[in-house]
Amino acid sequence: MFDNYLVRADSLRNDLVDGELVGFQLAVRIANYRGVYLSLHTGYFLEVDGVLYPREAQTFEVNGKPPRDFGEIRTAVHEHWDYDDEAILHIRAPGGLPAGEHVVRFQQCVIAAYGYLPTDEEWVKAPPSPGTGAGSDKTPHIVTYTLTLNEPAKA
Amino acid sequence: MKTGVSLYSYQQSQFFKELTLEDQIREVGENLPGADGIEIVDEMSLRYPDPGDAFVARWFDWMDKYGTVPVTMDVSFDVLQFRDHVMNHDEVAERLRNDIRFAHKLGFSNVRVLSTCPLDVMVKALPEIERLGMRLGKEVHQPMALEGQQVTEIIDYAEKHGTSAIGIVPDFGIFGFRPTEVLLAQYERRGAKREASDGAVELSALLREGKGPFDFADIAKQTAGNLRSEFKRFLTTGESIPALKGPFEALRAFADERVPQPSELDYIVVAEAIMQSHTSFDTMRQLTGHVVSCHGKFNNMSQIPGRPGEYHDLAIDYEGAIKALKDGGYQGYINTEYEGQRYSQDRTRAEMMDEVEQVRRHHKMLRRLIAA
Repeated sequence: MFDNYLVRADSLRNDLVDGELVGFQLAVRIANYRGVYLSLHTGYFLEVDGVLYPREAQTFEVNGKPPRDFGEIRTAVHEHWDYDDEAILHIRAPGGLPAGEHVVRFQQCVIAAYGYLPTDEEWVKAPPSPGTGAGSDKTPHIVTYTLTLNEPAKA
Repeated sequence: MKTGVSLYSYQQSQFFKELTLEDQIREVGENLPGADGIEIVDEMSLRYPDPGDAFVARWFDWMDKYGTVPVTMDVSFDVLQFRDHVMNHDEVAERLRNDIRFAHKLGFSNVRVLSTCPLDVMVKALPEIERLGMRLGKEVHQPMALEGQQVTEIIDYAEKHGTSAIGIVPDFGIFGFRPTEVLLAQYERRGAKREASDGAVELSALLREGKGPFDFADIAKQTAGNLRSEFKRFLTTGESIPALKGPFEALRAFADERVPQPSELDYIVVAEAIMQSHTSFDTMRQLTGHVVSCHGKFNNMSQIPGRPGEYHDLAIDYEGAIKALKDGGYQGYINTEYEGQRYSQDRTRAEMMDEVEQVRRHHKMLRRLIAA
């Protein structure tokens, strides 16, 4: 769903902390027609210009709280990511991205479902790897965006 | 019979911030003659799980202002919410009871649970529904049918316990008899062959006539999402749930005979034919007393050839559905549930569907069929 709009087109920018480029960020929306409990949100398949940035390099900023890694997001079992709300995905990448256009391949992994599934016990042990299509809810394919880097965001 | 709209129909307009919740309610109250019913998906329309008292007051102001009525609230459950274990039925029922109280606070008469919600969970929540004088309905969604255990067990429970507080919410997708043209068009944009679309339509017709190359009984037990993922697993690994293996093999052979050098996507397109419910209108008529409310599901309203200004969904038998409910003496709501917008969401916003226009056309059709 909303394939071309899950990432806001003008949202790619480097993250500047204490004058240092520590990575970059994107603004994202949930790939569903409803919000879900935040704990169900398990990370992203994210490749920029052919470089893969794994879940471990990602933090997630939502609901007015500072960015959290996906280990912490996992514990947000009573916090909801509402349908209307944009969140910021931060990627740790020292030096940030160079100016200009970037090709971003993207898939969100949210283990929301219509009830019980055969994969439930397996996903309690470990959520599916982002990018496989499993646990990716309503947009099970990787979407490609071409985005231009904007002015850096200061933390 | 009364009419309304599930605001699910406006999910895209909400996503793009083109219509606020109030705008959606106003559209129903002011621009759809005769309609006053409001249905929502709680996790789509509201700050969940608690939008606050100021919101609740505003909600009732809107109902007064636009002459609308809260009818049914649609709720979900995600069994991996706690992440360290799979929620058991007691935990799912606890969430459901919370959602029921939430719905009651907003003046809804009914709560709809997903088609996958176990009867046991509904029964555990039933005392709360009865205490509040509400009704709890399980959605009957394609490819489920009205025939079969999932519906029968609810009807049996209601009749055995003499209660009307538990029942069903038929989704009119169960009266679909072929894949919608907007889904097939989307597959073709992704590279599927025209012959695959034609094959899906042909196989649908054969299955409808009972002349298909396999039996349908096992298929109707699965949700459409599960069927799709199982078929994909079958294509990739040759494995699937045992009951589905035979039908899947026959399906692949059917596609091989019609589609030149079929790709994985082509097989997936032909498999859309098995997503239909093939349920009976006579069963619908007989079960009318157990209907809590209806989802008037549709995917695309197009002009009826040769009848300017009149619309239909060419893949769903609305005439049969409305007649069955009428014959059964149905007095409740049919709430429009537009879903076909998602099949244009691979495109740019300008090329996507106009939800407001589609829902208006749907109501034009409902008025024609209800008056017939």
